[in-house]
Amino acid sequence: MNKKLYVPHPGHFDGLQQMLESSKDIYSIYMAGSPDYIGTGRVNLGHAGLEEVARHTEYCHSNNVKIEMVLNSSCMGGQQLTTEGYNLIHWYISNLEDIGVDTVVVADPYLIEMIANEFNIPVVVSVLAFVDSSQKAEFFEQLGASSIVIDSNVNRHFDVLEAIRDAVDCELKLLVNEGCLYRCPFRYAHFNFFSHVNGPPPRPNVQDDYYYHKCLTLRINDPSLILKSPFIRPEDLKEYAHITDVFKIGGRSHFINWILNCVNAYADESYDGNLMDLMDCPKDLIDLFNIPNKALDGAIEQWKKHSTVCHTCGYCQRKISEIAQVYDHKGTIDEKLVQWNTITNKGIET
Amino acid sequence: MKPEELLKTRADLEDGIKRLIGRAVMVIELDIFALPCGCSGYTANLRGFQVDDLEVFEEHILKLLESTSEAVGSPSDFVFARIIPGTQEIASVNVRNLCPRCYSDFASTSGKRPRPDIYILRLNKRRK
Repeated sequence: MNKKLYVPHPGHFDGLQQMLESSKDIYSIYMAGSPDYIGTGRVNLGHAGLEEVARHTEYCHSNNVKIEMVLNSSCMGGQQLTTEGYNLIHWYISNLEDIGVDTVVVADPYLIEMIANEFNIPVVVSVLAFVDSSQKAEFFEQLGASSIVIDSNVNRHFDVLEAIRDAVDCELKLLVNEGCLYRCPFRYAHFNFFSHVNGPPPRPNVQDDYYYHKCLTLRINDPSLILKSPFIRPEDLKEYAHITDVFKIGGRSHFINWILNCVNAYADESYDGNLMDLMDCPKDLIDLFNIPNKALDGAIEQWKKHSTVCHTCGYCQRKISEIAQVYDHKGTIDEKLVQWNTITNKGIET
Repeated sequence: MKPEELLKTRADLEDGIKRLIGRAVMVIELDIFALPCGCSGYTANLRGFQVDDLEVFEEHILKLLESTSEAVGSPSDFVFARIIPGTQEIASVNVRNLCPRCYSDFASTSGKRPRPDIYILRLNKRRK
């Protein structure tokens, strides 16, 4: 399948060079800018100033790769609506336009309309605008969006995806490996928190990220939540060919090797390894669970039929019990894998 | 302590908790620390372990932490869990050999929850 892969920037110029030298399957690199102007909804390894953005843009373009700036704060505390906020954002976007970045991703509807009206940079609706219906997609297209990253919660709702495709003419993108909980209850609060941490000051200085803790605890206790997460397996990209050919790989906080492994998997539309290797989040669980990706061949047929009412379906629960393994004594000479269903409900050994 | 011994100690603690509570858990990091005040000890950062688990299995958890203390060579007179305040989430369990100043801070408190983020499993009082 011919496709366009949007790939995260590794956070530094040397890394960018290494990535573009190592893979010819990258259509566009995406990166966050400086958090001092507009924040971003996720953690980044680098905070590029305008000079750096210019350098990276020039390098990408010299390699026939596009560059996308991700300014997708889900909460700006209302600053975007103040005169000072408008002036600052306008100044920043003007600079990005002069630099020649190819696209700008934002989550706030106001910024979508403002950028579409006042600049010549195609504006992309972030996944953090949570476009999960044809009505919402139409609304954002009317505001001036040239592309929409669809809310990954509906990645397996083919009826919704098809309705969105029918309703709008703009480009659609699917985020393939976010790995977040399906219908995550922490989603809005967590991204708002990230937006402030990765946005203009004042930035909260917190000891523990409650939402991330809870996300891990839920999955450690019930790994079927990993399967219910609406990721798209590399093998299943072809199922989406009638929706789009544009796919975004998440992973702005990962190392180059990790990103390249994902690029190769999605470019090849096949991955023979641990599904957790491909999930952007939560990356810590890679040291706990082994879920053989190839054991999920054919699961898409079930997910197409049943992807909304988990308690009446039970497929992911049964499947995870069948295939999930847990590392025992990971990192030692005694390391081994045991079936997940053999360790549950064992209780105290006396 | 050699790196491979530290790795084994982390894995043993994780395995011990897993067997105790009957489900998966992660000791996401095991750190031995020394602070400028004079405190030293170790911290096991946990994921998937909650206050309910600690309350039910406190005695057994203490034994596991004592074994870990022996492995890392740290006394276990002060043992506490760090909780995300107001939640069930345990961020870490800690064994700390207190310096005189920190000892007086903790010894002057009472009860298991002297602060919203701390659950004391053991604090051996020193003779004056």
